[in-house]
Amino acid sequence: MNGEKIEEILKNIGNDDVPADVHKIAEDLSKDFSKTLAQPRQPGHIVLGDYIMKSRFTKLAAAAAVIIIVLFVGLPFVGKKHHGVALADVLAKVEQAKAFMYKMHINMSGSMMTGKPGEITEMDYTITISKDYGWKWETDTNVPNTGKTITQTMYILPGQKSMIMIMPEMKKYMQMEFDDEFIARTKKQNNDPREMIKQIMGSQYTELGRSVIDGKEVEGFHTTDPAMLGGAGENIKYTLWVDTKSWLPVRAEMDFKMGEQMEANGVIYDYQWDIPVTASDFEPVIPEDFTPISSEAIKMPSMSEEAAIEGLKFFVENYGQYPKKLDMLNLAKEFTELKTKEFVELQKGEASTDAGRKSKGEPNQVEFEQGIKKTMEIMRPIQSLGMFYMTLVQDKKEPVYYGESIGPNDADKVLLQWKVSEEQYRVIFGNLTTVDITAEELAELEALQPK
Amino acid sequence: MSSTRAEIFEQVRARYIGLLTSILWKLTGDRELFTEAMQYALLGIWRHLGKLNSKKAHVYIYRIALSANSKAWRNRIGRNGELNPNHIDCEKSPDEKPDRDELATLVRREICRLPAKQAKAIVMRYLEQQDYQAIAGKLSCTEASVRSHVSKALATLKNRLAALT
Repeated sequence: MNGEKIEEILKNIGNDDVPADVHKIAEDLSKDFSKTLAQPRQPGHIVLGDYIMKSRFTKLAAAAAVIIIVLFVGLPFVGKKHHGVALADVLAKVEQAKAFMYKMHINMSGSMMTGKPGEITEMDYTITISKDYGWKWETDTNVPNTGKTITQTMYILPGQKSMIMIMPEMKKYMQMEFDDEFIARTKKQNNDPREMIKQIMGSQYTELGRSVIDGKEVEGFHTTDPAMLGGAGENIKYTLWVDTKSWLPVRAEMDFKMGEQMEANGVIYDYQWDIPVTASDFEPVIPEDFTPISSEAIKMPSMSEEAAIEGLKFFVENYGQYPKKLDMLNLAKEFTELKTKEFVELQKGEASTDAGRKSKGEPNQVEFEQGIKKTMEIMRPIQSLGMFYMTLVQDKKEPVYYGESIGPNDADKVLLQWKVSEEQYRVIFGNLTTVDITAEELAELEALQPK
Repeated sequence: MSSTRAEIFEQVRARYIGLLTSILWKLTGDRELFTEAMQYALLGIWRHLGKLNSKKAHVYIYRIALSANSKAWRNRIGRNGELNPNHIDCEKSPDEKPDRDELATLVRREICRLPAKQAKAIVMRYLEQQDYQAIAGKLSCTEASVRSHVSKALATLKNRLAALT
């Protein structure tokens, strides 16, 4: 083929008119995209509603993963934000507030699944926190590419060790039970500003100097410490602005990547400090015609070391390997992709049968509930693993994970290590046994690790 | 804050949707690929909204379109660089000569593998049929540079297609 012919082909391509239906495709796509931007939002919970109703198993798994991310990655944002502020002087002021309220807006773009076109999900939260009664999250989430918005209200009630999520569009609610460890951590992260301020003070942050927001003079503090998101995000940029007169947070901004394909940015604003609240503000109101997603309370995954080991065991037993990474998003992504493969294989088998063909339709109520329950059960050990790793990162225990190079037969190789004190480290080996060792002993083990 | 961003997106969308559609259709020539590329492009616009509200917006639109096109093609081309036969039947036996449409598909596929500057120059010169002076102005370079990019791109396309056909 010569150069002239190439030019001729290129010119012919250039001369091609765009067909009318392609213009329409473009218009529809771009308008749908615009619509999702113009509407209220929120992801994880919403995804539960819409994706699950469409449901095949992979979508259930993905939805559940997103819920966990939103719940557990989202919470630290909250804590960081208001507690964040500038530090010691602000701390005293923040602690005085027995109840406060703020708004949060988050944009997430991209796709959890490799090779899938990205979507934009926007979430708007109104969050009320009372030291006496608990938390209340009211959320609006757009469902990408549908123009739909879903509203949900979530209550976290430490006194009852439970979380209740009400989903009006579905006329459903979900109840989850927490263990003591979750409650303790929740209090630490969200109800005890001192801990959060210590965490931020313990990280490398930059003082941005003074600026003006909404007519108020503010002072900014900026950090890129990955611990801010429990290792769930990369390229983190987190900025907190504090009123220089009241020394209370005015605004927080965050920007981070989740894996290679997802990005998120958000802002926390409209803080209202020391607002009056009563117990009834935190009592879930569930209409009579709403039904539970599960007749039994769903247990929140444990974030203990034992539960994390169960998660590793689950992964290796089902997929013959350990997860490559342990941060919540990559873990959920890898698991979802493995589940997708499994689902595709299953579909191939079912496609040849009448039963298989019939099963591809919309789920009925029983199938829906079974799907939710099954997904929660399957996801639990994975969630525990991700949450445990998140706590290690947040607590600055310097976890190092070798999932990409260590397998279940590597009984003498370190799979996961973390610091328990200045001189002591905890190690999980490839065969999932554990040991406490000194820094010197760890150095010897590290020398044996595959390069 | 978010509404402002959404409003800017809407303005950018309205301004460039025609150009994007034209570029992406010519680069894909296939409705499924086009749809995928357009979604990537919209996402690209959202992510780089700030740049698209600047003086150099027209250059970024080309960059976004080419990047979106590459991503869409990458989903269709395997790691070995071969097209998925389920999508486009352009692999012929040695005795068969590809027809005009198949050659166009091969050219499109190879454009997405060109270096960014060469791809941009080829798109502007041939698919958009702009003259060298206009392209140089848009790319903020000399006409000679544009001619050089085009020439290199043509040579690359020629060699790659010769190997394929």
